[in-house]
Amino acid sequence: MRVRLENITKQFNKDTKAVNNFSAVIESGELVTLLGPSGCGKSTMLNMLSGILIPTEGKIYFDDDDVTEMPSDQRGIGLVFQNYALYPHMTVLENICFPLEIKKVPKAERIARATEMAKLVHVDMLLDRKPGQLSGGQQQRVAIARALVKQPRLLLLDEPLSNLDARLRIEMREEIRRIQQETKVTAIFVTHDQEEAMSISDHIILMKDGFLQQFDEPQVLYDSPANCFTADFLGNPPINKMEGVVRNGEVYVTDANLPSGVKIDLPEGKEVYLSFRAESAEYNPEASLKGTVIMTSVMGKEKITSIKLGNMEVRAYMDAKLTLKSGQEIGIGFKDTGVFVFDRETGERYL
Amino acid sequence: MKSRFFEKVKPFLYLAPFIVGVTIFTLYPIVNVVKMSLMENYKYLTGDFTGYGFGNFKTVIEDQYFRQAMGNTLKYVAVVIPISTCLAVVIATLLNSIKKFQALLQTAYFLPMVTSVTAVGLAWRFMFNYKQGVINYVLSLFGVPAIDWLGATASNFSALCVYGIWAILPFTIILLVSGLQNIDPMYYTAAKVDGAKPLRIFFRITIPLLAPTIFLVLTVNCISCFKVYNELFPLFAGPGIAYNLFTVVYYIYYEFRVLTPAKYGLAAAAALMLFGVIFVVNMLKSFVEKKLSN
Ligand SMILES: Nc1ncnc2c1ncn2[C@@H]1O[C@H](COP(=O)(O)OP(=O)(O)OP(=O)(O)O)[C@@H](O)[C@H]1O
Ligand SMILES: [Mg+2]
Repeated sequence: MRVRLENITKQFNKDTKAVNNFSAVIESGELVTLLGPSGCGKSTMLNMLSGILIPTEGKIYFDDDDVTEMPSDQRGIGLVFQNYALYPHMTVLENICFPLEIKKVPKAERIARATEMAKLVHVDMLLDRKPGQLSGGQQQRVAIARALVKQPRLLLLDEPLSNLDARLRIEMREEIRRIQQETKVTAIFVTHDQEEAMSISDHIILMKDGFLQQFDEPQVLYDSPANCFTADFLGNPPINKMEGVVRNGEVYVTDANLPSGVKIDLPEGKEVYLSFRAESAEYNPEASLKGTVIMTSVMGKEKITSIKLGNMEVRAYMDAKLTLKSGQEIGIGFKDTGVFVFDRETGERYL
Repeated sequence: MKSRFFEKVKPFLYLAPFIVGVTIFTLYPIVNVVKMSLMENYKYLTGDFTGYGFGNFKTVIEDQYFRQAMGNTLKYVAVVIPISTCLAVVIATLLNSIKKFQALLQTAYFLPMVTSVTAVGLAWRFMFNYKQGVINYVLSLFGVPAIDWLGATASNFSALCVYGIWAILPFTIILLVSGLQNIDPMYYTAAKVDGAKPLRIFFRITIPLLAPTIFLVLTVNCISCFKVYNELFPLFAGPGIAYNLFTVVYYIYYEFRVLTPAKYGLAAAAALMLFGVIFVVNMLKSFVEKKLSN
């Protein structure tokens, strides 16, 4: 099912606009992630999709139905909560059956469908257990089965992995991806973890302070950020960001007091940020930008190198064959991709 | 060596004041009651008794007054506990769902607890009054003929139950409301998103999640209802008409306080039998609770 959001605004009180003039179209069968820092309005957006909250302004369409003010239970959605919200007094089977029980589905069919769902999420051997007797990952699987059992048009997941430990998170996010692809349900997944978002989404919606920042495929978001915030938010290690100023059509790095070699067509004296990804820098003795090696650590065929540039520190991947000693001065050149110039005031991207 | 010995004894030293207190004020009286119940023809003043045996229990069981008292007490528990628990669960759920005026309401239903039960009991006596009472007045509006609530053996048990229910409601409601407030609202959200209606939510989610509190309330109220006694005074100044509202605790009181010479042995035996009944009822309740939670 296709979800269309038109100019959604949610205002809680006079000064908090949790979501601001938000428009997006989510295509049928896709898994789209709502990504952003804490408090940016992700849960608010999701709650408007589920019908728990009603937007102050704007319209929500599921295919061609206007569902803006439709009660939750008529929308055909499945909801997975951060804390799972499994009923502690019911067994796994009863939990998965409950949405069908509400819909007055006959008991035999209920059990058949719930069992099938349990198989899909791999909890079919735990049907008689109570939620308290399950691990976090198993509880999350049950919660997903419960959300999917009534065959929703849209699956909504609000930070479903944040209560799991690191290893289980990776396992479960792959599971969520598998289940989503097997059922082909349109899914919206909320997270503040950029790595999680990058690894499972068809598209990512990046939000900040209630505003949509960028809506693109993960790789596009990474390779071609719309603004400084997007560039800062994505990537591990985080992107290197240096203050600069434009001199003679070139970014001059004020932190290091050196020209960067990055050419740009901007007015003289314009204050900018020069950002580059760790893998976009290269060892280049001829480069005008020079720094001092602080530390290196080998990771496979590359080594991650901390370099002191004036009074700041940047990180870059260098060829592991290079011998770099701490204290050594090296020239830093840039590759064609992964180097950006942003406006220092507005965050607008120039390069 | 000495310090190690001291380390072992130290916890008991800390506990000593408590143990002494419990021994003097709880353990000793209990042991004494058991002993008294077994002493036949015990005379409190002289300390004479003819020997140990189960004679007191036999006398009590065969005593028609005791049978009546036990019957009344069981009937009282059987009426007051279910009605008060159901009422309290419903009222607590409604109160908990009202988001406005919560503070005001909480004071309001706390009121019966802080006012003197006896004073308010006297007010009930006026309300139950045959000729001028407000209860008969309200009933008359519906065409019900006046009932002699307090003065007729046919109806004074009902009056006692009404008063008894009213008296334990506030405490019960307070416990239940605090139980309700401990239920995570996300369960309700989850159920509502799936389209569950209020009644289904109430029976399938609220009640099961509230069950531990309900069982707590049942235990506490059962014990207090089995000991029904205080409630008799404001309404009837005694056990009803011609002892028709004799209760077990009143029987105990009667045996060693009203009768002369006092029959301590019989009172002790009756007290132990009441304890036995309460114990059995509570075991049954625990059994059911365990069954249900599995
Ligand atoms: N019921 C409410 N009343 C008033 N303000 C609210 C309410 N719910 C959320 N907000 C505010 O709206 C903003 C967005 O909140 P929201 O819960 O959507 O953030 P989020 O992106 O989900 O954050 P997190 O990652 O921490 O869950 C926050 O500033 C929050 O304080
Ligand atoms: Mg949130």
